[in-house]
Amino acid sequence: MNCRDVDRSLMEHDKSVTAQLPAQIQEHLLTCDPCRELVQALNPSVENDAPTPEILRKLEETLNAELRPVRPLAPTRYLFAAFAAIFLLIVAAGVYLLGAFAISVMGPVQTIAILGALAASAGLLSYSLVHQMAPGSRHRIPPKLLPVAVVGMLAIVMAFLFQFQHERDFWGSGWACLRAGTPLGLLAAVPLWLLLRQGAILSQRVTGAAAGLLAGLVGTTALEIHCPILGAAHILTWHLSVAILGAVIGLAAGFASEAAERHLRSAER
Amino acid sequence: MMFSGGVTPHRAPANSLAMETSLLESAVSKRSFVDLDRWMERYQQADPEAPAALVGALSPALLRFFKSQVPSREQADDLLQETWLRIHRVRHTYRPGEPVLPWVYAIARRVRVDGYRRTSRITAHETAMEILPEPRPGVEPRNPLPEFETLIAALPEAQREVVTMLKVGGLSLEEVACATSCTVGAVKQKAHRAYRRLRQLLQHRAEGGPAGGNQ
Repeated sequence: MNCRDVDRSLMEHDKSVTAQLPAQIQEHLLTCDPCRELVQALNPSVENDAPTPEILRKLEETLNAELRPVRPLAPTRYLFAAFAAIFLLIVAAGVYLLGAFAISVMGPVQTIAILGALAASAGLLSYSLVHQMAPGSRHRIPPKLLPVAVVGMLAIVMAFLFQFQHERDFWGSGWACLRAGTPLGLLAAVPLWLLLRQGAILSQRVTGAAAGLLAGLVGTTALEIHCPILGAAHILTWHLSVAILGAVIGLAAGFASEAAERHLRSAER
Repeated sequence: MMFSGGVTPHRAPANSLAMETSLLESAVSKRSFVDLDRWMERYQQADPEAPAALVGALSPALLRFFKSQVPSREQADDLLQETWLRIHRVRHTYRPGEPVLPWVYAIARRVRVDGYRRTSRITAHETAMEILPEPRPGVEPRNPLPEFETLIAALPEAQREVVTMLKVGGLSLEEVACATSCTVGAVKQKAHRAYRRLRQLLQHRAEGGPAGGNQ
């Protein structure tokens, strides 16, 4: 039994508070002054520190004055299905308009791997966004890290699947892809934003970046099915940039929205 | 740095038996958390008794959470009120049957972050202190140990937040992970570092010297 075991016991709050401390921990506390003092110091009494009755009364009155029944947020699976439907419908519309020329040029492994990676990325982002809509949800991947992880993973998959080769009209063909993919991303952003508004977005910049990346991935996916240029440099620069551009726009929109909200609250005060 | 004057420090137990008693007394307050999910559902259905029940059960711990993060009682009171207004606005996002505390503390944490930005005091609070702050002048300490807020003021913000949620909010490790949008492993790591640092500070305090920053 050592100080680390005491740390572990302190972390398991309910066990250390509602039950007696384990005998071994007690023994350690008798011989270890720092641990004993730590356990005593980290036992604050909340009852002695309540808000004033005036504040409590004011809060209750304010909440009761605006009390109306609300319908709880839709279950996670419905929201996830809605995100997936938006993604698939706009990709399908984009491919219908642009044509699916890349499918006939890519090998089966390339097709399955790149579309699989894009679908997995969209799934991860949708899952994260669904959980970001309800505060206090469990995130398996921290939402701040997810957009960076998704872009990194896609870049590795693209660099691995396609070869770097000389391209004759790198800028011209790239500009054409950017012009084709970006409007699809912008189109996807509208229903995604409407869906996200159903929930409570706590960090607008984090959610903005993830939603923007998902919208951008709509454009990237449509380009992967449409564009017959299989050079790794072209795909990494022009196709992936549609997704990155979406994330950057989403992040900027989140910053702007947070700043506007802060400004409004300050003005209210 | 100033610390709020509203905290009544509880006397430190002299031995392990007294310490256990103190811990069990604390447990009484945790029982009020048991029915929170039912009250939240009634709150969503506009039961007029629900706001009072929830405000009464959650506000003391929320206030203590804010008091450990901001320098003044007034600011903590403001953040508490802002939190309840935001909870009211987004009450539909609570999913019946799910734990209430992570939902509430995720909102409270966001309110605190927004409050920091608004008052532009974030930098001052993110700097970890190397020594325990001096007790408030003119107050005779009834307790040989520093007050909870005084003690954890020496921690970096992220560690302070985790320790407060665990020890004041009564959240489990998983619930803290949900409230802070990070993994259980990350929460454990922050708590371990916080306890190590606090133990070090208490040891240096007992020896009468300043604590070193050798983390």
